[in-house]
Amino acid sequence: MAPATEFQGSFLSRISIRRNQIVSMDVNHEQELEELDYFQKHVAERFSDLLSSPSPPSSSSDAVFVSQPSDPILSIPWLQNLLDVFMSCEAEFKAVLSTTQISKSPVLERVLPEMLDRILKALDICNAVVYGIDSVRQSRRLAEIAVTALKQRPLCDGSVRRAKRALTRLLVGLNADGRDRSGCSSNRRTTSRSWSFGQRSNVTVGGGGSSGHVSKNCSAAKQIQAMVSNLVVPRGAEASGPAMPVYIMSSVMVLVMWVLVAAVPCQTSSVLVAPLSLPKHQSWASATVSIQERIGEEMKRKEKRCGGGGGGGLMEEMQRMERIGLSLMEFAEKFRFPAEEEEEEEVAEKVDELEEICRRMEVGLEDLQGQVRQVFHRLVRSRIEIVSVLDQAPAI
Amino acid sequence: MDSDGSKLETAERIILRWDSTASEEARGKMIFQSDRDEVDRFLRAVDEIQRSLSSTSISFASSSSSSAAAASAAVDDYEVKANSAIQIAMARLEDEFRSILLSHTTVFEPDSLFLEESSVSPSLTVEVGDDSTVTPTTDVAAEEEEINSPGGSGSGRLTRRRSSYRSTSSIREMDLIPPEAVSDLRSIVQRMVAAGYSRECIQVYGNVRKSAMETIFKQLGIVKISIGDVQRLDWEAVVGKIRQWIRAAKVCIRVVFSSEKRLCEQLFDGICIAMDETCFMETVKASALRLFTFPEAISISRRSPEKLFKILDLHDALTDMLPDIEAIFDSDSLDTIRAQAVEIQSRLADAARGILSEFENAVLREPSVVPVPGGTIHPLTRYVMNYIVMISDYKQTLDDLIMSNPSSGSDPNTPDMDFTELESKSPLDLHLIWLIVILHFNLEEKSHHYRDTSLAHIFIMNNIHYIVHKVKRSPELREMIGDHYLRKLTGIFRHAATNYQRATWVRVLNSLRDEGLHVSGSFSSGVSRSALRERFKAFNTMFEEVHRTQSTWSVPDAQLREELRISLSEHLIPAYRSFLGRFRGHIESGRHPENYLKYSVEDIETIVLDFFEGYTTPPHLRRR
Repeated sequence: MAPATEFQGSFLSRISIRRNQIVSMDVNHEQELEELDYFQKHVAERFSDLLSSPSPPSSSSDAVFVSQPSDPILSIPWLQNLLDVFMSCEAEFKAVLSTTQISKSPVLERVLPEMLDRILKALDICNAVVYGIDSVRQSRRLAEIAVTALKQRPLCDGSVRRAKRALTRLLVGLNADGRDRSGCSSNRRTTSRSWSFGQRSNVTVGGGGSSGHVSKNCSAAKQIQAMVSNLVVPRGAEASGPAMPVYIMSSVMVLVMWVLVAAVPCQTSSVLVAPLSLPKHQSWASATVSIQERIGEEMKRKEKRCGGGGGGGLMEEMQRMERIGLSLMEFAEKFRFPAEEEEEEEVAEKVDELEEICRRMEVGLEDLQGQVRQVFHRLVRSRIEIVSVLDQAPAI
Repeated sequence: MDSDGSKLETAERIILRWDSTASEEARGKMIFQSDRDEVDRFLRAVDEIQRSLSSTSISFASSSSSSAAAASAAVDDYEVKANSAIQIAMARLEDEFRSILLSHTTVFEPDSLFLEESSVSPSLTVEVGDDSTVTPTTDVAAEEEEINSPGGSGSGRLTRRRSSYRSTSSIREMDLIPPEAVSDLRSIVQRMVAAGYSRECIQVYGNVRKSAMETIFKQLGIVKISIGDVQRLDWEAVVGKIRQWIRAAKVCIRVVFSSEKRLCEQLFDGICIAMDETCFMETVKASALRLFTFPEAISISRRSPEKLFKILDLHDALTDMLPDIEAIFDSDSLDTIRAQAVEIQSRLADAARGILSEFENAVLREPSVVPVPGGTIHPLTRYVMNYIVMISDYKQTLDDLIMSNPSSGSDPNTPDMDFTELESKSPLDLHLIWLIVILHFNLEEKSHHYRDTSLAHIFIMNNIHYIVHKVKRSPELREMIGDHYLRKLTGIFRHAATNYQRATWVRVLNSLRDEGLHVSGSFSSGVSRSALRERFKAFNTMFEEVHRTQSTWSVPDAQLREELRISLSEHLIPAYRSFLGRFRGHIESGRHPENYLKYSVEDIETIVLDFFEGYTTPPHLRRR
């Protein structure tokens, strides 16, 4: 009996029809293998695109950035591409799943519920990321203050002090990421001398007021760990069956979530450096393995710089913002009026770069947030569809 | 110039006096907590410096880096000092701003807020099994322990609540900060904006109000909860949280958010374009997102029948709040919030539709095959009918949500339904009728598991009668189902009663018939005594059998039970009386008449009263 809801165009309807068809097992299995192959190729291609990243136009914000030859890994446009890749892999996955005979596969009945659980965690991570992006916005506002101040001519004490105030808060926000500040203050290069203007602790900490929007229980890092826990590459006969695309798609999902959590400050404890143990020899996995490695390296670099695990915040723009911020801070601390012409030029360059970053963030972050929400919706839909498939499967 | 010069000097001195980086004294107290003269002096000092800067240095205050070289060549020493003074003043004002905001953070009394939000209609709690026609022997306790939903998911207990979440209250803005403080704050904002420090202002404001918002949320009981957490809760806990959320959300949106918006307008309107919108967004966006996490989690949770009504409550509450949400979050930057609310509403609607559809499926496929003892009302029947009655309570909402007719006939295992004669009915009505159709279908399947076909008929009769009874008792439901279908159902259970009579009593009455008893053609004599004895024996055996079994059968409805007994009596008693009257003489004239004349007419009449009483053990058989 067809349900009262409209599942137009979903793979669900294709499954119901298929179950009533009398098709020979061999033909179906052929088709399955073909689909699996196509899916693997698709995943491999899209992810290797991400590595070389010729930056295809994917959003309206590209009107500003069209001249970029490639987007650096973990930058906002790159993250947007990543999400595009995820959505397209997910669409392919659904197509593969629809040609599989659910009712004849007990393996699927085992792995699909696991996937459902992973999707739930991914949904929570999406929410955490949306909040996290808010706190990046906070950083942007502080950077904008510094930019405004340092663009003033003549560049005098007042402006520089103003910039210093903003930069202080900015740097605290970028480093602390909402972690326990008592834990890592010793590791910051810019130590107490910069923070104390002799003020009471009026310096509002927290690169965002987004303190604790994610409860400790659902810490993003823990979610990822849980998502990976029973993710095992199918072996033997299962490797050519429907469990394989489920494994691939799950791995893709975990990777994407992990990248997001690494890139965006998510108020979480330290994130795993390499959560997935991917089968390197398989074609679809090679690009994803590289991405995992590169981002893992970034994490280690950041860890060395500021001690303690990353609470996220590896977004390329944020990292550049931090670098420039530190260097501007140095300038601000040494500043004596009037500035040397050279110095002023140097500063002007950095300020311009910072301004550029702020501009990119202003548009890019909104778009990114919107995209994460879209991923959220897609995951919800998948969940509903998989649930209906599972509910129907045993009733023959 | 001199008087100006000294005015400027004075201004500078005042500002420097309050430089909190410079002296302990300056740090120790707040300007705005000192006397008004002090405040005025400071503000005038700021104005003075600001005025001088804008009038003399237009050509120098270029923000383009390319003119840096030109500017540095003609720098005015004074200007540097003025600039510095402004920065110190702004830093100071920022702190003052924060301090005033903090000291006036309103503490909401949650109870006072909730008092206005009481629901409009009274709530009745009617447990499953409110049948007043229940006889003492039918297990009342069993009715109230209705726990198995068709899907077998355990806690299927339905409570019927009429409390309406269509509360009549609307937006109610509160003054978060007293007017004197507002005007102080405004005077600070004006100066900060004029000096180009609006960003700092927004920063401070956003931070302070955001934390205030978090505190308010805690007070309202809105907790951070993840989607995973919500899935793991058991349904009873979720029900409580839904109620709590609805109450809290109304306060949040209509009082808290609207008041924040008003505060932003009070502080920033007219000073700087769109500053109030920005500050409002900074304050509420994250909190609004957090507010919607819970209903979103509910809208995507696993669907099962008992969730329908709470999901509808949530949907209705959200629908009720949407106009206010649209009014309050009307700026572009808050688009996503409006969009999210609408999405959630739509998902909840989908969930409701999905649940209804799954319910229909579940009823159709409900697999229990163990026949209920005594042919009484099946728990499935009770559950489904109570569910349907509750659906009729939610008619208003569901009529809007259910837009497609039920589909039938595609699966060979489902009943056929001709909807053409029901064209005037809404899709929801059709779904309810369809539910009854498939319930009936399922019950027919179940009836086949009775070994005794008579009992199968009793079973159908009881259950269909119950359905009719429930429909008639609820005027709303009756209208939805319609008298046409009701008549059909009535016909079904009457037919079942007739089938029962035929199945049981034809044989019995056959033993009381005339043919085969007379030997020769003559009437008065020539009755075969042996045949007669056989007849009596047959009757006695069968009647005893029927008595024994059918007194353990059950017809819970008193009126139906009476009707059935009367009907069978009307066939049985006269036949027996006549038979007895005509032939007892023949038996009495023979040996051991007591072996054959076991029952008097009065005996039969009394015994009939045992039928359908649902005795757990057969009654002690009466002997003469």
